[in-house]
Amino acid sequence: MTLSGYEALFFWIFALAAIFAGLLTVMARNAVHSALFLISSLVSVAALFVLSGAEFIAGVQILVYVGGVMVLFLFVIMLVNVGAEEKGREEIFNNQRQVTASLIFCLLLVGGVLYAVSQGYPALQAHNKTDPLAAAAEQVARNRALAKGATGTSRITTDTEKIGGSLYRYASLPFEIASVLLLVAIIGSVMLARTLKQEASADDVDPETLQEEIALDPDLAKLKPRSE
Amino acid sequence: MLNSFIPTLAFLFQQAEQGRLARTWEAAAHPDLSKFLVIGALLFIIGVAGVLTRRNIIVIFMSIELILNAANLNFIAFSRYLQDTGNMNAVAGQIFAVFVIVVAAAEAAIGLGIVIALYRNKETIWVDEIDLLKW
Repeated sequence: MTLSGYEALFFWIFALAAIFAGLLTVMARNAVHSALFLISSLVSVAALFVLSGAEFIAGVQILVYVGGVMVLFLFVIMLVNVGAEEKGREEIFNNQRQVTASLIFCLLLVGGVLYAVSQGYPALQAHNKTDPLAAAAEQVARNRALAKGATGTSRITTDTEKIGGSLYRYASLPFEIASVLLLVAIIGSVMLARTLKQEASADDVDPETLQEEIALDPDLAKLKPRSE
Repeated sequence: MLNSFIPTLAFLFQQAEQGRLARTWEAAAHPDLSKFLVIGALLFIIGVAGVLTRRNIIVIFMSIELILNAANLNFIAFSRYLQDTGNMNAVAGQIFAVFVIVVAAAEAAIGLGIVIALYRNKETIWVDEIDLLKW
């Protein structure tokens, strides 16, 4: 695969944006800022997906990550916001020794990755199309061959069609397992996030703990289990 | 410290004389699979650094999302690479990316549920104060 011309320009713009936004996610003092930087990093990576011809995954990334998961994150930040860290009273990083050790570990990872890429680069080059311009022309020809959309200006990509076909043909069992996983996640998160009151009204607290809690908060005794 | 930099500078000048830098510029103008892999690896390492260094448990979860996203970037890049080296219908990488997104969503829901339960019980989101299981 080789990108050229405007694709290369946009590749570098979005790659740098993704990395800087990722860095700022880790460095930001305020958790809400972290979440917003993570959103911009995810959008930049979605743009990289578009550049490598995965339009469907890019759309899913925007819808699920940015539209769903990040909103969930923001809600939780608002729920548990302690307010101490953005006023600068709390240290946002672990203590110095842990940070140093983890940064050394990360530098080793960077070195390993650069070494691996430099070792494997000749083999990659051998597989690539010899002329980047010819490869780009081939890509343009392939895009021209796609059917036009209803407005006549856009092209309808076959990417989604291919993914759908392969997903149901070769990965239908993992697909079903993923649906069970999501069901478990829904039920599990509802179970985990209940308050003691909600647990008591569903008769889901063990009797001794319930007696101790009633001693602290007499209102709990009034909650009768609904199943009775 | 300075002594170790001088050979590096000398090496760079030598590379420039041999025209390696011009070739590097040529390679940068045509990003291929290796550039995608390097970007993915850098995002992964930033995520790892976030998990290891931050104290706020929510930011740690965000760093995990960054790590999973870096893995997705590699999957997509390899999928496109396979498509360009002959097999037009090689979308296994993209299917894997769909599953990674599903698992990330489930993980975020469960993890944030745990965070809320934890905050309700311990009134803290700093991981160094959550040490009930620490021996």
